[in-house]
Amino acid sequence: MKRFLRENSLGLVFGLLFLIVLVAQGFAGLADFNDRQLTEGLSEVSLGRYLTSASFATDVAENWQSEYLQFFLYTFLTVWLLQKGSPESKSLDEAGLESDEDQKVGEFATADSPRWARARGWRLSLFSNSLGLVMGLIFLGSWVVQSVAGVAAYNEEQLGDLQDPVSWAQYVREPDFWNRTLQNWQSELLAVASIAILAIYLRQRGSPQSKPVGAAHTATGVEG
Amino acid sequence: MLRRRSLLAALPALFGLLPAACATVDDRSRAADDVAVRLLAAVADRDGETACALLAPATADEVSGSAGKPCAQAVLDEKLPDPGTVTGTDVYGQWAQVRLTGDTVFLAVFPGGWRVVAAGCTPRPDRPYDCVLQGS
Repeated sequence: MKRFLRENSLGLVFGLLFLIVLVAQGFAGLADFNDRQLTEGLSEVSLGRYLTSASFATDVAENWQSEYLQFFLYTFLTVWLLQKGSPESKSLDEAGLESDEDQKVGEFATADSPRWARARGWRLSLFSNSLGLVMGLIFLGSWVVQSVAGVAAYNEEQLGDLQDPVSWAQYVREPDFWNRTLQNWQSELLAVASIAILAIYLRQRGSPQSKPVGAAHTATGVEG
Repeated sequence: MLRRRSLLAALPALFGLLPAACATVDDRSRAADDVAVRLLAAVADRDGETACALLAPATADEVSGSAGKPCAQAVLDEKLPDPGTVTGTDVYGQWAQVRLTGDTVFLAVFPGGWRVVAAGCTPRPDRPYDCVLQGS
């Protein structure tokens, strides 16, 4: 058990933190929602009612879609894009899909390699792109959820303002949808650019996100 | 009678719960329709007490305050149309819009159920509806 916790501490700790913060978001969101309810002369809603509301679903989904967009772009584009001196980048001579030998696929797979790494054809292609594909699919799925929940939340506000509701097709052209989407995208893209560039010159001893403390600023693709 | 399903029903539809979700949305739509029609019928029947009981608290206060008399008397002075046929209903979260022949009514959820926030509403391009009866 101790060994399990130690060897899986990264996933467990971040998973637990995610749950704690999601619960906290639920309470903070409920308080904010009810503030608006009272301002409009309406009654407060319960936690259960709020957690099943379009408002909460939109607030969660709009953040999830941008995180998975970030992971998709970061995973996919770092195959080809380089940043000299950054531990977030591959070495300058490694741009691209790399050789089968370096990637340990097909005849270069080892006994420990995943089964589909030893295969050829669609299985190898699918497995070789599975990380980017899953990140991309989760991004698209959560963006769709944001749009569906978003139009319901938007229309709730519309009716509260004594205005007509809009269709989903109209909503995805509304400033509300794109404001929510783009404000999330800009922060995710800034985060990737920040870590890629700051890690050239700054260090965090022991972190795989950092170069070794004594590594040169020009050293590319090395981890601490 | 035409009904437009709340798009909120689309979310559970992704998980195959469409029948249950639609039943809930239809129930809420019917309940909102009922309150809207009962309000207009009460005013048409000169039953101010029933009409005021169907108003949101802030709306009842506004009706009473602006007329300087009890809501049950003041509401009968409002120029609301006769109750028509419901032509469409939209329900989103805590709000509903009921469209009738000759009127549009906006309702919100309160502890006792749907209550009318605004009635006798006519649309204005790119602006909120102009309503005969609404809260402050």
